[in-house]
Amino acid sequence: MKAAHFEHHEPTSVSKAVSLLESLDEPTILSGGQSLVPMLRFRLARPDTVVDINGIDELDYLHEEDGYLKIGALARHADIEDSAVINERYGSFADTAPLVADPQIRNRGTIVGSVAQADPKGDWGSVLIAHDGDVVATGPDGERTIPIDELFLLPYDTSLDEDELITEASVPVPTDREGSAYHKLKRKTGDYAMAGVAARLIFDADGRIEDAGLGMTAVDITNARASDAEDHLEGERPSPELFAEAGELAAEQSNPESDEHGDASYKERMVEVLAQRALGDAAERAGAIKRRNSP
Amino acid sequence: MTVNGTERSIEVEPRRLLVHAIREDLDMTGTHIGCDTGNCGACTVLIDGEPIKSCLMFAAQADGSEVMTVEGMEELPESDGLHPLQEGFHEEHGLQCGYCTPGMLMSGKALLDENPDPSEEEIREAISGNLCRCTGYQNIVRSIEYAADKLAAQPAADGGTVAVDGDAGPAAAGSDADGPEPTGGDADAPEPFEGYEVDDDEFTCGAENCCGGPSTDAEHIGGDNV
Repeated sequence: MKAAHFEHHEPTSVSKAVSLLESLDEPTILSGGQSLVPMLRFRLARPDTVVDINGIDELDYLHEEDGYLKIGALARHADIEDSAVINERYGSFADTAPLVADPQIRNRGTIVGSVAQADPKGDWGSVLIAHDGDVVATGPDGERTIPIDELFLLPYDTSLDEDELITEASVPVPTDREGSAYHKLKRKTGDYAMAGVAARLIFDADGRIEDAGLGMTAVDITNARASDAEDHLEGERPSPELFAEAGELAAEQSNPESDEHGDASYKERMVEVLAQRALGDAAERAGAIKRRNSP
Repeated sequence: MTVNGTERSIEVEPRRLLVHAIREDLDMTGTHIGCDTGNCGACTVLIDGEPIKSCLMFAAQADGSEVMTVEGMEELPESDGLHPLQEGFHEEHGLQCGYCTPGMLMSGKALLDENPDPSEEEIREAISGNLCRCTGYQNIVRSIEYAADKLAAQPAADGGTVAVDGDAGPAAAGSDADGPEPTGGDADAPEPFEGYEVDDDEFTCGAENCCGGPSTDAEHIGGDNV
């Protein structure tokens, strides 16, 4: 099917994009387009105007700055895959990127676009939750920072104002005693997650868990934080029992729906398993544990 | 935009998909439409050397880009009539019905440009966004291996020449094989600190229906990131 008619705007700067968002009636922002283009074609979305931000070069970046990893709105999934800094220090990001869709889609789709789409099955929201990330929303009054926990409201719905766009996502640069990981269950390449868990652990000098972050994919109406599991982990030493308990708490806090991929109780069980795996990887990458078959 | 080395100018509605512009406005029907939903990869083309699905992009978004379709392959300097990839698909029976072939060729081309000597796993990953309904994946993988071998055997002088014929010759742009090779993302902690040994035998995933039952294998807990 063809998309309905729309007006296509291509601003070349953030300020031009914002003034377009302000002046147009309910415009839709197009970045990577890997979800939006099919939605337009199937007329699930029928905006009169589309503001295409792909020409805004100032949004095309991925770097560490001022203690944060900063991901500009035009950084593509493939940029994460190809980044030496990511592969060296950001385990969860390095795990996630190659699990998103397929290679062609990763060349176009963006991290920020995926977050702005607010699909509960999107992977990046969970990673940002695990890392206590933020997004920067830019609007007519300038920039404001939205903590990731305050961004997702409902499926495909965020706390962004209509004349704002997300220009950046950021997470704190990892400490020397930090590790993170993402585990995702899906049937095949290209599928969304049936369930996914991102974990991040920071240890103190004594080997105890100082801070834990756990984000869950596809098991609630939005990407969700497993806060009970986080609380349970903090202050403790890593152990298989501890991670098993955290997995159970995460599963309890998840709220999946039954569908063709499995019933809710199966998915809860998978949350438990994926959380344990992600925590094990995160602890190992932090140097806090060693496992027998580790490379 | 530049299509297969030739400057092309078309006027399109904003809602026109790139794949429709290529097939209907530019009359190049080598690029196929398979699923219409972004899943199958039959419409894969290269934009500035990178494979993308042309059904997930509006034509207007390709303004100013270099687009390469299957029709452009024979004009590449490494081609002798057929491109080594096309020859590989012929020699190794890499196609049955042929519907997915243009997309497979484009994904294969992008892979070999970046990684001239890929492993089987890397080939499978590179074509993981392309579906073959004849399920001929084995032979498709062999076809790409054939092309990699053939390209490696070609004299370097060939790769060094600029595109044939008169026009600007940007068709050669994709053949730069000097790109950085991706290194394995081994996530060793920068500074190991005094930590705690965990007895792996106690690490079980515990899921009774996962991979055949409860496991005492440490690999099970964190081994696979694939």
